[in-house]
Amino acid sequence: MYPENIIASTSEGHWLAILLGVIIHFVVISVYMKGLSFFPNRNIIGIYSSVGKGTALFFLIPVLLYFLMVIIITVRAYSEIITIVFLSNTPLWAIMALLLFISTYIASCGLETIFRTGILLAILFLPLILFIFFVSFQNVDWRYAIPIDGNFQFIKKRDYLESFFAFSGGYLFLGFVQPFFSYNRKNVLIAAAVLIPFFFFSVYIPILTFGQATASTFFLPFVVAVDAININWLMFDRVTMFFIISLIAFVMLFLSLVSWKTIRIIEQFIPSIKPVYMLISLSVIIFLFCLSVPDWKDVEKLFWWNTILRFYVLIAIPISIYLIGIHSKRKNQHENI
Amino acid sequence: MKTYKLAAIALLHFCLLFILSGCWNNKDINHRVLPVAMGISKQDKEYKVILKIPEPHQGTTQIKIVSATGTTITQVVDKISMNMESSVDLLHVKVIIIERETAEQGVKDIISGFMRARDVSAKALVVICDEDLDEFFSKIKKTTGPEGTTLFDFFEKNAGWNPQIALTRIWMVYRSIHSYTHDVAIPLVKSGKSTMVEQIGSAVIKNGKMVGEINSDETLLVNAFNGEGIQGRIEVMDHASVLIISDRMEHKSKLIEQKPYLQSQINIKVVLLETRGDPSTKVIKKELEHLLTNRFNLMFTKFQTSKADILGLGQFYRTQISRSQLKFWRSKYYPHLKMDIKFHINIQNEGYLKTSSD
Repeated sequence: MYPENIIASTSEGHWLAILLGVIIHFVVISVYMKGLSFFPNRNIIGIYSSVGKGTALFFLIPVLLYFLMVIIITVRAYSEIITIVFLSNTPLWAIMALLLFISTYIASCGLETIFRTGILLAILFLPLILFIFFVSFQNVDWRYAIPIDGNFQFIKKRDYLESFFAFSGGYLFLGFVQPFFSYNRKNVLIAAAVLIPFFFFSVYIPILTFGQATASTFFLPFVVAVDAININWLMFDRVTMFFIISLIAFVMLFLSLVSWKTIRIIEQFIPSIKPVYMLISLSVIIFLFCLSVPDWKDVEKLFWWNTILRFYVLIAIPISIYLIGIHSKRKNQHENI
Repeated sequence: MKTYKLAAIALLHFCLLFILSGCWNNKDINHRVLPVAMGISKQDKEYKVILKIPEPHQGTTQIKIVSATGTTITQVVDKISMNMESSVDLLHVKVIIIERETAEQGVKDIISGFMRARDVSAKALVVICDEDLDEFFSKIKKTTGPEGTTLFDFFEKNAGWNPQIALTRIWMVYRSIHSYTHDVAIPLVKSGKSTMVEQIGSAVIKNGKMVGEINSDETLLVNAFNGEGIQGRIEVMDHASVLIISDRMEHKSKLIEQKPYLQSQINIKVVLLETRGDPSTKVIKKELEHLLTNRFNLMFTKFQTSKADILGLGQFYRTQISRSQLKFWRSKYYPHLKMDIKFHINIQNEGYLKTSSD
């Protein structure tokens, strides 16, 4: 979907649009991690609560809403994509139930399970995804990359603002895992840097294969580009299937991570209920909500509403953490003197 | 308490068995028919669809041809599915055969439909048939062998494909409908007398409409230009016949006063196969150069008059023409394109016999 947004947002010089997104992503991550580094072994819920209950409410409620929206949209959108791409006879609710069930189960087992599953999935599916990425260059005509001169017209476009979902999903978890795991800041930045080519390729492969004029007519440009791959020596006819299935595996992992984070926040405000029950009731509510979304137009509407929240999360959270960090550091210094 | 919990978990896992099979409204493979070829013709707003279905029958495969008419292709397929004892699954359709008249009217709707619904793979080949589809299919039925995939093998690159056959897939036709600068050639066939199909040449498709026709020698040049690889093709001249073993191209594009100029050089390596009389390599080279250049120029003027950019020449001007102007490439720039093509021939070897060099 990311390529679709970018291709829709500008007709030439896509690299500029992608680059801007990547740069913003980097700035946000580094500010966020810098802020978190002021509080060793504490997560963002603890940080906000230490400032005051009002602050915690003010910052965490939007994040909570954002997470809920993300889960709903992801479940709904991906189940729709699954029905479009291969399971055209299966009813939506069955796919959504499956997606939610597995991710809820993983989330209920805790953070460590999520990360271990992540490593397992990476071993199983990353080679496959990398392979598909490489073979998708098969039909590429490099001359379609031209003209390369870009302008900043795309910033105002709704599609471009929506494309930020690709960046804003992952990084927040860095603030949640603190007491359980420690990480090296440099390694996180390296990982983010490794992802950059994928952002570029996912947009440029459809463009180089079909040309801008054709690629803009597709709903899922990258999937169609993968569909056009023809490999004689591979016994499987449709590589797309492998691509989508490995993608779904990662989506399940992402869902379980987000629902785990959501539970952490709710736990802060309502500590009396057991997290497992909370998780189950949460996924039931989300499932019902997903059922009540009738068609793709409404998914897009939800997506757009969420964009506003997303920018709040993208801008306010890292900066506020950073400011609180500096503030508390000063206070500590004063006390020491 | 503990046994209850265990029982509940066991029950839950048992229920999972049903989900894990992943089957929903599933039809087993013996209740499906998988056509390999699909013929489409349009007769006064009604589509006629013919499916070629291989049916396993006591160890061998028999070919079954079914057809129906309707307002949309999906409706027709649905109708066939309804009237057959098993359901039709288009997943494995490899070749789409379109009748010539239908292609001349335009195939935009048909191709867009395939791209949208994804029942038919975007990789399926598109072919245009130069005779009545019913006749074509009934003749095919007689000549097809027991494998049932012959029609597909004819075009497959690792099977019966030859460099003078155009190779065009659904997504390429779709691209040509929308692209500003890229058109395609689709193979033009009819049923043969001794072989199953006979290749006549290629249809020139512009914006999803058939606008012209080129013969198979010209298709070879198009394939060479598009980098499909023309190795293995035998060229026959007055004094010799040669085998092409490799080809390489260089292009220089210029835009002077809004008029495009293109200088192209195609380097071809050949192996000498047969000679008539005693020609020197120099004569052979010159003859081949002359032959190819003439053929190319003739073909190119044909393209220019029909304004179809099959060679994708507009691609070379992407750096020089702005995107808003590129929209008019076919109408404004392409007809005025001056093309200077040079063939450079290298005779790599002369086989076991020696040939004089001058």
